[in-house]
Amino acid sequence: MERDAAPGGDPVKSFTLELRLFFAERATWVLLVLFAVVLVYSLANGAAAGRTARDSAELVEKDTFQWATQVREALERQALDPRQVAGRPTSALLPPAPMPALAVGQADLLPAHEQVSLWRLEKPSEGRSELENPSRLLAGRFDLAFVLVWLLPLFLLAAAYDLCAGDREAGTLRMVLAQGVSPRVWIARRAFARGAPVLVIAVLSVVIAGQIGGAEGVGARTGFAVLVVIAYGAFWLALAALVNGYARSAAAAATALGSIWVLFVLVVPTLLNVVVENLHPSPSRAELVAEARAAASVAEKRGNELVSSFYRDHPELAPVGMQGDMMSRMLAVQDEVGRAMDPVKQRFESAILAQQEVVDRWRFASPAIAMHEALTDLAGTGYWRHRAFRVQVETFKDQLHAYYSPKFHKRAPLTKADLPNFPKFEFIEESSTAWRSRVLAGLAGILALAIAAGVVAALRLSPRKLAA
Amino acid sequence: MIATIAKGELVGAWRDGRFRLGAVLVLVLLVVAGLLARQQVARETAERDAATALERKNWVEQGNKNSHSAGHYGVNVFKPSSPLAVFDRGIEPFVGTTVFLEAHRQNQTAFLPAQDATAMRRFGELSAALALQVLVPLLVVLLAFGSLAGERESGTLRQTLSLGVAPRSIVLGKALGIAAAIALLLTPAAAVLAILLSRSAEPAAEGTWTRAGWLAAVYAAYIAVIVAGSVAVSASTRTARSALTILLAMWALNCIVAPRLASDVVHGQLPMPKLAVFEVEMQKDVMEGLDGHDARSKQIEDFTKRTLAEHGKTSVDQLPFNFQGFVMLESERMAGVVFDHHFGKLWDRIQEQDRAVAWAGFAAPMLALRSASMAFAGTDFAHHRRFARAAEEHRREFVRLLNEDLMNNARPGDHGYAAGRALWEALPEFRHEVASAAEAWRDARPSLIVLAAWLVASLAFLGWSATRLRAVIL
Repeated sequence: MERDAAPGGDPVKSFTLELRLFFAERATWVLLVLFAVVLVYSLANGAAAGRTARDSAELVEKDTFQWATQVREALERQALDPRQVAGRPTSALLPPAPMPALAVGQADLLPAHEQVSLWRLEKPSEGRSELENPSRLLAGRFDLAFVLVWLLPLFLLAAAYDLCAGDREAGTLRMVLAQGVSPRVWIARRAFARGAPVLVIAVLSVVIAGQIGGAEGVGARTGFAVLVVIAYGAFWLALAALVNGYARSAAAAATALGSIWVLFVLVVPTLLNVVVENLHPSPSRAELVAEARAAASVAEKRGNELVSSFYRDHPELAPVGMQGDMMSRMLAVQDEVGRAMDPVKQRFESAILAQQEVVDRWRFASPAIAMHEALTDLAGTGYWRHRAFRVQVETFKDQLHAYYSPKFHKRAPLTKADLPNFPKFEFIEESSTAWRSRVLAGLAGILALAIAAGVVAALRLSPRKLAA
Repeated sequence: MIATIAKGELVGAWRDGRFRLGAVLVLVLLVVAGLLARQQVARETAERDAATALERKNWVEQGNKNSHSAGHYGVNVFKPSSPLAVFDRGIEPFVGTTVFLEAHRQNQTAFLPAQDATAMRRFGELSAALALQVLVPLLVVLLAFGSLAGERESGTLRQTLSLGVAPRSIVLGKALGIAAAIALLLTPAAAVLAILLSRSAEPAAEGTWTRAGWLAAVYAAYIAVIVAGSVAVSASTRTARSALTILLAMWALNCIVAPRLASDVVHGQLPMPKLAVFEVEMQKDVMEGLDGHDARSKQIEDFTKRTLAEHGKTSVDQLPFNFQGFVMLESERMAGVVFDHHFGKLWDRIQEQDRAVAWAGFAAPMLALRSASMAFAGTDFAHHRRFARAAEEHRREFVRLLNEDLMNNARPGDHGYAAGRALWEALPEFRHEVASAAEAWRDARPSLIVLAAWLVASLAFLGWSATRLRAVIL
């Protein structure tokens, strides 16, 4: 007899009754206000992080603009030796993330700009855009993603951990069942009435995050973020219903749900890290540095030979008398070392890519991981956008080299006519299909987990099993 | 009586299937974390040693050149990891592991391991410290929330009290029983970690065992605080359910919210300088002098005049040594003062922030524990600073030796001078020892004070809750 009978004949009425019961408790208001405060604080933090990123980007842009102006003005007066222009590094800038207030992600750790010059052997540099206290990097930021991934489930569970376990404990469950209420409908309604207010505030905060310092076209990203948050919330509510099907007391339900939270949010991610790092360990930076210098000193000793072989291969670039000067020799040496080291450097990029692929494949081991990946991806502060930046910077290095290196060897003067051809770095955002397909996969996975938990809960919440 | 109650609680915990499950999980995580960390530290040590050897070879075999050019060629040094990083990696993934030492410049450490990892790494790295800081307190909460509130609800507390058992014995017995259950769980884990430490490939540095002892002490104090606080809450609440709600909320605030909240708030109050500003100001001071009055060129000019006057000569070529080398020495000295000032200010700020977070431990003991743990494990910023400082001192010493060689061995005005392998070999290799346990103790002092205060306060709370123990709370 799966009928939604009295006392809740009218579903709308029964739902409002559940809502009123929920709001009648003082604890509910405390919970909701606390959640709202936490969200506002995290939004303020995210907004500040977004501002910092914009400020740094402006600084880089200003510097680039000033240099471009200087070169232009100089070229208008006279032709320039290419060495004067090519020697100075050009800034390749990753523009601020499209939805920075959603998640700080890796933005506090990975550089948002890189200096590219003709000289391929950079010294090991700090490789960062900002000075940061390492303890803060370790702790992570109190941003919206943190609140949504870690705390949202806790608030949801605090509101909905006792869907019927308390009734069972008090002996009122049989009474309710005796009235012919379908327990599935009844519990779903309860879970929804208690979860909805928390989720509404969460969704609202995501919408606000889209409005804070977001780039153009942030609407789609906001929409996806809202869907992901709802799916994630649905998962935890379904889990609460499932646990309530078994728990003998409210305290037992709370204990079980708390433990599951710890498992999914704290334990599984650290274990996945272990798997990832053991499957695809990163190579050693220390060895890379030392090897690069060893290669450099070998190339250095072969310097003259390198230059002459270079000119043999490129007679059109050879200066009069086939004798390269010191600068040409340095460039030839650096190119040689750069070529030798490229595959070694590539190993780092492939190791992280392989790691990320494992993470992508296993992210559904915990909905928290899938959620975290989806949010940083939507914010534009995750792995993929920064990878796109790094790949484009590598291409830009080649462009810069292809343009300036022949002029450098030939000492062909740069004139005003060359100005429009100077290589400039312009970051091309990923196509929206790329991030959409990743986020959709994540969303589908979280939804599937939510539905699975819901189905198991529904099976368990049959009147017969509940009464037993 | 206390012993009987404690024993009863211990047996009860052991019979609880959920506790057994949780305990086994925590135990496995602790041991796995220790084993993996040891493997990782061993691998990193091997990589670093190989790189150090190769760098030395690069240096010695760089060929004949002007000794100041050799200063520009420079050398890379690598940060050794602390033996106790096996237990708590601390900030290690977030600070550079390599410093390039060269003439004229003090470089920052480069290559953060976290930059070569996915964002998942920041979700939390499995470490023994993390398990003890976060998971064990949760286990305590789950054991303790019903210890008195549950008995109150079921009415057994009334029975026990009516038998004339002193409330103090009940409360203390419960607390000791829970503490014993946790101790039984952690002893084998501690034994495994100690064995791992004693069998590490490298001989343990001096003070390692003292540090390990301190680590055991601070963790014991932290867990004692959690046990006492949890039992006291259970003694003062009407139902097990409300005790659980309060304790879980406190656990989440302490373990999950506090670390991020504290570091964000402290950063807001004590902001870090902007990188661009830091570099520009430092460069400006190198060029213009710290007081901003004397341009570097002017300072060098004065220095030249002074030197000539001292030796009674009219031209630098008449001096009995290579003047260029002498100027290099002087300019390194001047730049050193500027670097000390700027890096000193930057590092002081980071340490100020870290100390502020430790003091914020008065609000959440986890903050104090974390900073004490990193201090004794040798993986906090204070230790990193010692390494960076040692590397910089090494840089200055090695650049000084090179410049002195130029000054004494190159003929005045000789631009073709070249030193060779003998000089390169004579330059010392970089060695860095982890600081003594006493220094770590000094770093950890604020956190130790905070933890001691928590211990006293939680025991007082426990005692107070005993004096107010009631069979029924209305």
